Amino acid sequence: MASTGEAVTAESAPQKVRTRIEYRRFNVFHRWMHFLVFTSFTVLVFTGMPLKYKDTEWARWSMDLFGGVTAAGVYHRIAALVTVFYWTLEFVFMVVMVLRSRGKVLRSPGSMMPSKKDLQDMIGMFAWFFGKGPKPQFDRYTYWEKFDYMSLMAGTVIIGMTGFMMWFPLWFTKVLPGIFLNIALVIHSNEALLAMGVIFIFVHFFSAHARPESFPLDKVIFTGSLPVEHYKAERPLEFARRVREGTLDEVLVEKRITWRTYAADVLWWIITAFAGFCAILMTAFIIWSVFT
Amino acid sequence: MTRLRYAVLAALLCSAAALGFAAAASAAATASPATAQSALNAPSNDDCFRCHGQQSVQNRTIVVDGRQKSIFVDRAVYDASRHGKLACTSCHLGFKPGPHGADQTQAWLATAKLTACSNCHADVFAMYRGSFHGNLVFGESSGKAPVCADCHVAHNITPPESPAFRASIDSLCARCHAEQLKTYLDSYHGKAFYLGDAKTAVCTDCHGGHKILPPSDPQSKVSQQNLVATCAQCHPGANENFAGFMVHVDPQSPRSSFAVWTFYALYIMLIAVVFTFGFVHTALYIYRGIKDGLYRRSRHG
Repeated sequence: MASTGEAVTAESAPQKVRTRIEYRRFNVFHRWMHFLVFTSFTVLVFTGMPLKYKDTEWARWSMDLFGGVTAAGVYHRIAALVTVFYWTLEFVFMVVMVLRSRGKVLRSPGSMMPSKKDLQDMIGMFAWFFGKGPKPQFDRYTYWEKFDYMSLMAGTVIIGMTGFMMWFPLWFTKVLPGIFLNIALVIHSNEALLAMGVIFIFVHFFSAHARPESFPLDKVIFTGSLPVEHYKAERPLEFARRVREGTLDEVLVEKRITWRTYAADVLWWIITAFAGFCAILMTAFIIWSVFT
Repeated sequence: MTRLRYAVLAALLCSAAALGFAAAASAAATASPATAQSALNAPSNDDCFRCHGQQSVQNRTIVVDGRQKSIFVDRAVYDASRHGKLACTSCHLGFKPGPHGADQTQAWLATAKLTACSNCHADVFAMYRGSFHGNLVFGESSGKAPVCADCHVAHNITPPESPAFRASIDSLCARCHAEQLKTYLDSYHGKAFYLGDAKTAVCTDCHGGHKILPPSDPQSKVSQQNLVATCAQCHPGANENFAGFMVHVDPQSPRSSFAVWTFYALYIMLIAVVFTFGFVHTALYIYRGIKDGLYRRSRHG
């Protein structure tokens, strides 16, 4: 699975351990964060969507799978707490980053902040789609990755607030009028559909699996690093910037290629295949519900 | 001395006489004229099922409320029901073995059907009599409304506290209140109920069972005065705000609640825009990828 084709390969003869210089895109924090996001998100979707589409056969299957609507509610709430945990951690991490750099990270071209270049990139991509220009060059994050991240962070606040309103209605109605509970359900349910579409279909899964550059699987979020040449082709601006600033060494790692590397690859494939299966299944379920 | 002996003897005789009289009186009371008469004249259930229990009468029908209804009664179902030990004639008052005339049947349906239950369930009947449904049935402007057997079923009557009966309440009410069922099933309680939650609130938990009254009636469980207490049955500590939650609201209709519909409409538009853009972007990306042969290049590790 791991092609060594263009990668910088270094072999140390005595131990016969193959190593490869890779570009570290995600650190351990990013990778564990993603693990928490995708496990909790999948549980939330599969325990929540059956309520939205209660009239369907698959809603009953899902509820049976989880051991009834009460049990599914418990799993939904546990996953919600995991979501609160990772969101808070990410937010604190972000604030600390911004404060420690005195706001410099926000102005960096490699930041998650939307910029004018994102709009230009989007227009450039549409031009490229129609064969009317070259493919734009990206820095650390593309505009769809920024959208993916921002919509998750903002969407979590919306869906979290409305979710807690429904979890603790007595507490919230000490202040808020009862109609807020009606509105909370409408928002929670539709925000969930929106998030599901963004993550499971149009942005995230497409970006990780179906884009020509990543097909059939971009496993860098699991491995953390990828061959330097590939990253240079994917995000030339960040690479050039690091070369220019002399910070390339910070992100270059020497990766040992052992049987563990291949075993891990198999694990990433299994996880991704399962996640992909879940995404396709839920998409099919919802299309089925909408058109029946 | 002899006087005393006579006195004791007399006292004993009197006591014995009193005892004997009491015994005779109680015996006479047990064999009351009514019992004696019903034992002689009233048909046993065997008599009724001799005809009504035959599979062959399944196609024999009578007209009940304008609909054809079979005269067949499944004895196994009846005997297993909560009323299984009661005589048929304790509800079907005045019926005797042999063919029943249509006039007798219709007369019974017109009156006894409503009051037969009250012979044993007088307290419940009084509540029903004063309810919205009861008023429709017995009031001046009599309209179509359910009577006892419409909800409790005639022959396979189930205990109202049984899970099976509870699970059927929504469909019983929906025979007339279909619109309210739809909005209920889209609410928190309804979704959970529909997917099998036995504890969540059903129609009767908020509206009451026998004494259902419109919200405009101060005595109603869902009136302005009582709504908070009704919510507090399951949600202790509920206040005015909490009770302001609308159970029967259709988010897709601006006339149901304009505020709720506004959020619904905004989200539908947002979803439509994001999904349409996402679909176009994705489709074009794949198109360009295939056209330029990008999918055939060797992939990274």
